[in-house]
Amino acid sequence: MPSDTNWVTLLASNDRRGGVAAAARKPPTELIWKATLGDAVRSSPVLRDGVLYVACRDGRLYAFDVSNGRERWRYQAAAAIHSTPSISGNLVLVGADDGTVSAIDRASGVRRWQVPGTGEVWASPTVYDDDVYFGSTGGEITAVDRATGELRWRVQPQARICSTAYVTDRRIFLGCSDGRLMALERGTGKEVWTHRATEAVVASPAVDGGLVLVGSEDYFFYAVDAESGKVRWKVETGLGVTSSAAVAGGKVFFGGRDGYLYALSAADGRELWKSRPMRAITAPPLAADGFICVQSFYGTTQAFETDTGKELWRANLGGSVSSTPIVSTEAVYLATYPGVVYALR
Amino acid sequence: MDRRTFVYNAALGTLHLGWGNLVRAQEPSPSALGSLKIAVHAPEFTPSPLAMPGLFPGRVIDVVHPQAVQDRRISQPAVRTMLTQGMAALTGDKNPADAWARFVAPTDIVAIKVNPSSAPATVTSIALLREVISALNAVGVPNRNMIVYDRNSNQLEVNGYHTQVPAGVRVIGLDQRWAVKGSSDVNRSGYDPEVYCEMDCFGERETRSYLASIVTREATKIINLPCLKEHNASGVTGCLKNLAYGSFNNVARTHVDPKTYTDPVIPVMCSVGPLRSKSVLHIMDGIRAVYHGGPFGWNPEFVWEAKTLLIGTDPVAMDRVELEIVEQKRREVGAPSLWDRNPANLGRSSDIERTAQKNPFYREPNHIRTASELGLGVWDLAKIDRRKLVVN
Repeated sequence: MPSDTNWVTLLASNDRRGGVAAAARKPPTELIWKATLGDAVRSSPVLRDGVLYVACRDGRLYAFDVSNGRERWRYQAAAAIHSTPSISGNLVLVGADDGTVSAIDRASGVRRWQVPGTGEVWASPTVYDDDVYFGSTGGEITAVDRATGELRWRVQPQARICSTAYVTDRRIFLGCSDGRLMALERGTGKEVWTHRATEAVVASPAVDGGLVLVGSEDYFFYAVDAESGKVRWKVETGLGVTSSAAVAGGKVFFGGRDGYLYALSAADGRELWKSRPMRAITAPPLAADGFICVQSFYGTTQAFETDTGKELWRANLGGSVSSTPIVSTEAVYLATYPGVVYALR
Repeated sequence: MDRRTFVYNAALGTLHLGWGNLVRAQEPSPSALGSLKIAVHAPEFTPSPLAMPGLFPGRVIDVVHPQAVQDRRISQPAVRTMLTQGMAALTGDKNPADAWARFVAPTDIVAIKVNPSSAPATVTSIALLREVISALNAVGVPNRNMIVYDRNSNQLEVNGYHTQVPAGVRVIGLDQRWAVKGSSDVNRSGYDPEVYCEMDCFGERETRSYLASIVTREATKIINLPCLKEHNASGVTGCLKNLAYGSFNNVARTHVDPKTYTDPVIPVMCSVGPLRSKSVLHIMDGIRAVYHGGPFGWNPEFVWEAKTLLIGTDPVAMDRVELEIVEQKRREVGAPSLWDRNPANLGRSSDIERTAQKNPFYREPNHIRTASELGLGVWDLAKIDRRKLVVN
C-alpha cells in the first residue's frame, strides 16, 4: 500500500484500488445513495477516511460523505476536469483542462496552491516523497514541490501526454501520443531510455518485477525491462489498448478496445484467461483479493474471479470511459460517464 | 449578425430561402420537403465558390489502395498515398500543398468533423485524421487553429481522438463545452442559441435543434471526414448525415421506428448558411465499410475492407456513390435493398446486429436526392464524374 503521502501511479498502486485496502467479493444488491452531478464524469473517484472525491467535467471536485452521500464541499476549477484525483497527506491533487494542477485541502476544499501549464491535464498527478509529477496534452512533463507547488523541473517531449506517470525512487515512466514509452530521471527529468511503440501509449504503466507493463494503440501489450528499456515480451490484442493495467499476484489485467478483459502472466505474458467481449473497455480494472472488477464503455460493471475469469456479478448502471470502481468491505462506489455516482452494498 | 427565419412549408411544399438564384423550383414527387414543416433560424447564406457543392460539383474521386489494411491495422503510409494522389486527382494539382490551398488558408480556423459513432474499428480512422492535420500544417494552418469535433464526447474519447492527435489540436465533443450551469443552459453549451432548426417530428417536448457554435462562430472552414456506412434510418451515413447530425443537437428524435424524418431533416440542416458555406471538402473513410447494422456496426460480419477513400467537394455526389457501393455489397450478400419497403423485413433494433435481412426502419436514402433539390450537389449518376484510382 502507498504511504500517507506517496501516490506513485494512477489510483495509488498497481492494483488500481485507490489505496483502499480490503474489498468485499460479494455482489452489491442495495443502493445506499446516489448523486447526479452537473456533467459527465470521466475519471475515477478516490476514497479516504470516509470521504469520496469525484472530479466532474463541470469543473468541480466534489467531496461526499460516504455514509450518506451528503456533499461536504465542492471546489470549482476554472475549466473542465478529466483528471483522476490523487491523494497525498492532507491534499487532493487534480489537473484541469486549462493546464493547471491544483492542490486542494482535503478537509476544507480550499485550494492550497496551483501550477499553470500548457494544454490540458488529463493525467493524474503522482507523488513521490516531496514532489508531484504530471504530463499534459500540451507536451510537457512537470515536477513541482508537493507542499508549495514550486516548480522543480519541466521537460518538453513535444507529444500529447495523457498517461499517468509511474514513479519509483530513481525513475519516472510514462507514455506519449507518438508511441514513446519513456523512462526519465526522477531528479531532473532527463531521458534515460525510450521504447517506441508504433502507436500512442495512452495508458498508465504499472511497474512490477523489474518490468514496465503497459498497452498501446498499436494493439500490443508490452512488458519492457525497467532498467534497459528492452522489450521482454509482448502480446497482441484485437484492437488498441488504453486501459491501464492492474497487477496483482503475478497476474496482469487490462481491458481492450476490442471489448475483452485480459488476464496474463506477468512473468512471460502467457494468456491465463480472457473474458467474453464487452464491446469496448478503455477504463482500468481494479485487482482486489480474488476478483477483478471493471467498468465497460457500454454500461456494465462486472466482477470476475481472478484465477478463472468466471463472472461473479454485474451491474448495469452506466458506462465508463476511464473510471474504475472502488470496492471496499462496506460498499462499491461507481462514477459513470453520464455523471451519476452510486454507492452500493 | 443578420439572421432570418426560413420555413419549409408543408402546406405549400415550397422552400422560402431568400437565396435568390439558389431557390429551386419544386421538384415533383418524391420530394420530402413538403412532408415536414421545418423553420430554419439562421444567418443568411453567403454564396461562395467553396460552399457546397464547392469547387468540383459532381466529381468524386474513388481512390483504392490494396494494402490499406495490413495485418488488421490501417496503414498510415497507404492512407498518405491515397490522400495525396486522391487530392491531386480531384484538383489537378501535382503539389499536395497547392491542392489543399484551394480550400484553406493559413489564417483559417479549421473544424474537422469526424465520425466516432460506431464500433471502434469502423470510425473515422486516426490515420486519416493525422494525414489531414499534416496536410493542413503543410498549407500553414497551425495545430492550435484546428478543432476536431463531434456531437458526442464519450464516443470521441472511447475511440482515442483526444489522446492520439498531435499536441495543440483541440478535440471537442459538443456536449462537453464547459458548462458551469449545466447542459440545459444552451448559452453555455457547445451550441449557438441563435441558429437552429425547429420542427415537430413525433410530438416531442423540445422541438429545436441547435447548430454547433464551433460552426457558427469559431470555424472559418470545415473539413468533413465521414465513414462509408449503412444507416438503419437514413440509408447511409455519409457526408450529409455526418455534417447535419453531428453538428446539430437533438436529432435522434427524427426517427421513431419504423418512420424516419431523416429525409428532409438531413438535407435542410446541411443547407443552413454556416454549415453549407464553410464545408469545403469531404473525405469519406471507406477503408473499413459497413453494409448493415449501421451506424454502430457491432457485428463484424457486416463490416468489409473496402480499402477506399471517396474525395470531393460535392456531398450529394459522394453520398450517391456511397449508396451505390453499399447497395452493391448488399446485393452480393443477398440483403434487401436500402430502398426496401417490405413490412415483413421490419425488425427490432436488436435484430440489426443479428441478421442483414431485418431493419427497424423504412430507410430514407432519398435524403440525398432532396439535398440535390436544395442545390447541395448532383444526384443523377449519369452526371456524376466518378474517377476510380487504384494506388500502391
